[in-house]
Amino acid sequence: MTTTAIKVEGVSFAYGDTLAVDDIRFEVAAGETLGFLGPNGAGKSTTIKMLTGQITPDSGSIAVLGIPMTGHVIDIQSRIGVCFEEKNLYENMTAKENLVFFARLFGIKGFDVIPVLQRVDLADRADDRVSSFSKGMRQRLMVARSLVNEPDVLFLDEPTDGLDPVSSQAIRAVIQEESARGAAVVLTTHDMLEADKLSDRVAFINEGKLLVLDTPESLKLQHGQRAVRVRSRHGDQVNETVIPLDEAGAGDRIRDAVGSGGLMTIHTEEATLEDIFIKFAGRALEA
Amino acid sequence: MTAIRSRAGIVAAIVRKDFTAFSRDWFFLVISIIGLVLFALMFWLMPNTVDETITVGVSGPGIGEALTSSGESQGIDLKLYPSQDALTTAVENGSDGVAVGLAFPPDFLQTMAAGQQTTVDVLVTAGVPAELRDAMDSMVREVAYAVSGETLPVTQLAQNEYVLGVDRSGDQVSLREKMRPLLAFMVLVIEMMSLAALVAAEIQQRTVTAIVTTPARVADFLTAKVIVGTLLAFVQAVILLIAIRSLGANAPLMLTILLLGALMVTAFALIAGSYGRDFITVVFWSILFLVPLIIPAFAVLFPGSASSWVKVIPSYGLINAIVGATSYGEGWSDVLPDLAMVAAWTVVAYVVGLSILRRKVEAL
Repeated sequence: MTTTAIKVEGVSFAYGDTLAVDDIRFEVAAGETLGFLGPNGAGKSTTIKMLTGQITPDSGSIAVLGIPMTGHVIDIQSRIGVCFEEKNLYENMTAKENLVFFARLFGIKGFDVIPVLQRVDLADRADDRVSSFSKGMRQRLMVARSLVNEPDVLFLDEPTDGLDPVSSQAIRAVIQEESARGAAVVLTTHDMLEADKLSDRVAFINEGKLLVLDTPESLKLQHGQRAVRVRSRHGDQVNETVIPLDEAGAGDRIRDAVGSGGLMTIHTEEATLEDIFIKFAGRALEA
Repeated sequence: MTAIRSRAGIVAAIVRKDFTAFSRDWFFLVISIIGLVLFALMFWLMPNTVDETITVGVSGPGIGEALTSSGESQGIDLKLYPSQDALTTAVENGSDGVAVGLAFPPDFLQTMAAGQQTTVDVLVTAGVPAELRDAMDSMVREVAYAVSGETLPVTQLAQNEYVLGVDRSGDQVSLREKMRPLLAFMVLVIEMMSLAALVAAEIQQRTVTAIVTTPARVADFLTAKVIVGTLLAFVQAVILLIAIRSLGANAPLMLTILLLGALMVTAFALIAGSYGRDFITVVFWSILFLVPLIIPAFAVLFPGSASSWVKVIPSYGLINAIVGATSYGEGWSDVLPDLAMVAAWTVVAYVVGLSILRRKVEAL
């Protein structure tokens, strides 16, 4: 039996006259990773702010770990971890001091910093000031900070944005470990490939509305186009043929293309989450 | 992870973190230490005596004796010069401490004795106050009447003098004494900038957002900032007053005054910090508060310069209380109205400061 970690029902929020989030509803199960995708200004950050208790919805209800947000913000905040997009660390303090400070805010006595820093490959820099850290190290420390209280729900806002492959890999590993531990992970990202790789389900949000919520595979199967791309050379001319697999006679067309001689390459293609997002939102994610 | 949380524990954690951050901010740490040392040094270098004698240069034959015999030399140190040129040079250069020169014509005594009119030149530099020039005019007339043997042209009216409030006549305060409230206030103000910088950094780097998504509330953050700011300002002001031996016999009263002052500048620091985006804007906002707040301290330095509107400046009560308690030995009952005024302004400043900062934090 799956436990619901987050339950959002009919939630809306407006900044003055501007509706930022419009009647969204979804659930995230414990141990599930939800990719929350949308362009800038789509309503992702506002939704995360509501889920982390920073702002109160104008309407609707939110429950985290079965606890209603209204009137229980502190109880919820003691059980969640948040990794912000901005590197909001104390620059003049060491990595260790940063984590110990947040452990104190959670009321954790005798907090051992090293195991948490080991998870993000920063144990050897525990006593170095954050001001001496690279962008990747800061981001890894941000992730480490969000793990201080062993959260049951983890919110990660663009955790690998602009990072080197090594740092990105370290963070992805942490996300998978947390999910395996049973924590619900809400991952906000622009990177569709990352979302595809890490998320059990993805939610598309645009102009404050939740467009679709499903597994990446299901979305691709339902809304994407599978095809085979065949390239062949005939004399000086290179021909490229795209054969949609869902159309009738696709098998015959592939056989003909391969048997016609001059075969150069055959690639299978499937829709990306980006393609599907464009189909739903009518715009690209980075626009 | 199970953990025991308490509001006090959370506030203590933020306070501890803020002191760590302050100790790592070399700029404010260094100016705090340098400020304390320099202010103490400045205090002890200031003269602690009040010289109420005016040195007046005089030229003209027999005038020195005439002035002495007329009784006009009380509180005046007369310096005789052989000629008007020598007197003019002395006044211009300020040599022998001569502030004013009275150049009597060579035939002054004879002319006046004959009941005829003559002219005396009063030599002053541009910086001599009008009151002193008037006093010299009166002095010359007195001498003239004394020499001519005539009485004053009018009989003086009977008058009664009422001093409203504390009569400070004869309680001359030395420059060192006058500097005390200014120095104490400057220490408070430096710490106002330190706290404003801390608050601005929390907002600009959005570290406060990270804090308020833990069990810490905005109120905990604000409480911690008030504690840190007040402690920083209060402790340093106390250190300064100990260094300049100004806690005096009534230490509890002085500590109360300083605590109120520290609380007040902290409230202004919250406002300055809320609007500060970087070091320059923090300094700008701090100076915006500093300039009006420091006016009462200067009013003590230059008596007579304070207009009635100075009394509505929030720091007026604070400065007045420091002056009263340290220079005139005033007690609780004497400075109570000043303390009440400081407390009232402090409450107003907190209502404004905390609401601005709360709005800033919640809008991030």
